[in-house]
Amino acid sequence: MVIEATTGVRKMPPCRAECPAHVNVQAYVSLIQRRKYKEALEIIRQDLAFPAICGRVCFSPCQDACSRVDVDQAVAIRALKKFVADIERKGEGSRPKQIPKTHKEKVAIVGAGPAGLMAAYELAKLGYPATVFERMSEPGGMMRYCIPDFRLEKSVVAGEIDYIKALGVDIKTGVEFGKDITIESLWKEGYLAIFLAIGTQGGMRLGVPGEDLQGVVSAVDFLKDVALRKPVRIGKKVAVVGGGNSAIDAARTARRVGAKEVMILYRRSREEMPALPSEVMEADRDGVQINLLEAPKQILGRNGEVMAIECVHMKLGEPDESGRRRPVPITGSEHIYETDMVISALGQIAESSSIPDPLLDKKSRTPLIQADPVTLETNLPGVFAGGDIVSGPASIIEAVAAGKKVAKSIDLYLTGRDFRKGREEKVVATSWAKNQAVIKKVARYNAGEETPRTNIEETLDRMETVEREARWEACRCLGCGPCAECLGNTELCEADKAVVDADLCIGCNVCAVVCPVDAVKKNEDNIAEVDRDLCKGCGICAARCPTRAISMEKMTDERIRSLTTPSCKE
Amino acid sequence: MTGREPRIICFSCNFAFCGQQTPLPENAKVAKVQCIGRIDPVSVLEVFEKGVDAVMLAGCKPPDCHYQEGNAQAELAVGILKRLLKYSGLEPERLKLVWVPPFEDQDLARYVKAFSEEIANLPSSPVGSSNAEASMLNLIAAKNAVAQFRTRVLLGREKELTESANAYGEKMSKGSYDEMLDEIVGDEFIRYKIHFLTKNVPMSVSDLAKATGLKPSEVLNHIVDMRRKNMLAVDHIEGASPVYKALEI
Repeated sequence: MVIEATTGVRKMPPCRAECPAHVNVQAYVSLIQRRKYKEALEIIRQDLAFPAICGRVCFSPCQDACSRVDVDQAVAIRALKKFVADIERKGEGSRPKQIPKTHKEKVAIVGAGPAGLMAAYELAKLGYPATVFERMSEPGGMMRYCIPDFRLEKSVVAGEIDYIKALGVDIKTGVEFGKDITIESLWKEGYLAIFLAIGTQGGMRLGVPGEDLQGVVSAVDFLKDVALRKPVRIGKKVAVVGGGNSAIDAARTARRVGAKEVMILYRRSREEMPALPSEVMEADRDGVQINLLEAPKQILGRNGEVMAIECVHMKLGEPDESGRRRPVPITGSEHIYETDMVISALGQIAESSSIPDPLLDKKSRTPLIQADPVTLETNLPGVFAGGDIVSGPASIIEAVAAGKKVAKSIDLYLTGRDFRKGREEKVVATSWAKNQAVIKKVARYNAGEETPRTNIEETLDRMETVEREARWEACRCLGCGPCAECLGNTELCEADKAVVDADLCIGCNVCAVVCPVDAVKKNEDNIAEVDRDLCKGCGICAARCPTRAISMEKMTDERIRSLTTPSCKE
Repeated sequence: MTGREPRIICFSCNFAFCGQQTPLPENAKVAKVQCIGRIDPVSVLEVFEKGVDAVMLAGCKPPDCHYQEGNAQAELAVGILKRLLKYSGLEPERLKLVWVPPFEDQDLARYVKAFSEEIANLPSSPVGSSNAEASMLNLIAAKNAVAQFRTRVLLGREKELTESANAYGEKMSKGSYDEMLDEIVGDEFIRYKIHFLTKNVPMSVSDLAKATGLKPSEVLNHIVDMRRKNMLAVDHIEGASPVYKALEI
């Protein structure tokens, strides 16, 4: 990462820039190339408390931004994260040392989901005594209760939470906000800052007649009940309404707990489905039928129980404000599917009763907490909010990003500093690989020669093969970000840059020809100029410069000379 | 190498060898650089000048290179250096470029030991021996030949010349590029050798022909060029033939 002193703009490779939590992807991928798995995990943990969880279920915007797409396909970043996290899990595990409490100010965090836990993790690292209050019997929030076991094992969630606990975070479960504790009661107990990360727990209603029949449930409740191992009433023929990840999770879970037939009803086409394409494929494989361009019109029942669902065919019209094409019903296309259970997976909303009145976001259609987008402070001083309860239902990694922001705000607030000034982050994706002419030079691991392996998802029982494949995959990284990204400022590498002595340069352009990343170019005065954001310090230009006008900042010729002085004299 | 281990300097790419390394044998020393393409041919000759027996360059096996083409650059440099070692009367085997496959054993010490065995039968470096002066002179000439503008531009532009066309739309084959490089490096080597030979003692064409092993006509050609470049001037005339002395450059 290169931080420009004048503007404060942080320059990062596309993967890191796209990640809401700005996890240093290029650094840990480079470390995996070099078998430095422990160090790689440390790099991830600098920005993310859940490497094993995100390695499994993150929607990986990093991968979507990967420059390697222009060569063959993106580097399997998520799988690599899972790989390093699993090595630790499989090995001795990790028991971090408890971090000494250097601050006295107590912080209360409400909600042990990704946002709350991440904030607790960050605050613990800073030395604050943080207490997390959780309504459910186990911490983890949606990660534990709404992502089914076959995608994210409970033991993995427990492992990550144990790590956070070991840092010195206190987690109190079975404490409900609004009932057992309130903002006032927390102030009274001596907490000096509060973070509300209560998430959106309720399922959105379908809004069609027959919704109150028995056999209609929301995906959130259904998944939660399965996760809690409660006896679930499951139909033989299940209809899931919605196209997001929860819909897919609910459908696949229904198949696993005994439904004979499961179909998904989605009102748009497959391209518009918000669920991960890989998840949709998995659902296909599980035998889930996916009916596209269909919307429920009403649910028909007999004796108070679901009997069938009436749907109408849709067609796609003009794009709406979200950029997706609006589905329009085709009149007269009504038809009926027999079903004995309907799962609505249209999204989640907060339970409005849980939000204290003064915090309510009045502009939002659904009940959310109003918070400043940068500092995440609410209308009440000392009370911060973040995660789904502010943004509306989103992802783990976005919740993590919010948790990090809040932790920083709370730290500044409690130490009496200005937590508003200069907080806005300016991040620019910087990559030499944006230049297609340069990227074409890249030959290594071409898809044509060896198929890139993205399927490292297997067990670690085949450790040797998996390790080889993981390193292979890591080597596919083009390392397209600014130099200092590579090894994340570890002792393995020093960020070196080329410097030009303008007096010696004759403008012959040799440096520009040999530079592998197009970082050197001639300026209007015919003098070579190094773009410090792109220079990765290889030094080839210095080795080739005919007039020796280019030298390296750190690995100078003198230093090379001193390194080669023979150690043994005759 | 009679009676002692050969002294080896190893230039290694930071990316080829990383992580825990077993200690190197005592006769070897490693200089790690970001990329093996960073190695200026001049540095390698400087190492030989110091009396080291052999030099090893270790980089990532193509097509793997953190910088895509660093290994190709190293290959190019090693090609020239081997030629210059030969001109200088040193065995080209004293210089070796090793490729480290990205997934194999990455133990530098193992590579150094293998190289050490390979060159065990070679004599010790002539630098420091009874013939030291002649080898030093050759190595200095070689160093100047690769430090020379013409050589370096040609080295730097290899890719451009052989892969895309020059300003006139002409493209060069790899073969003719190598030929040209050979010729230029050879010429530069001889010229610098002549320059050094005539530095203290003025010499005639026939003296120089004897000292360099070239035909007098070839020596004369070089002298014409060198005079034009102000490397050399007539010192005095002996009988019918002019005697030349090197100018400061």
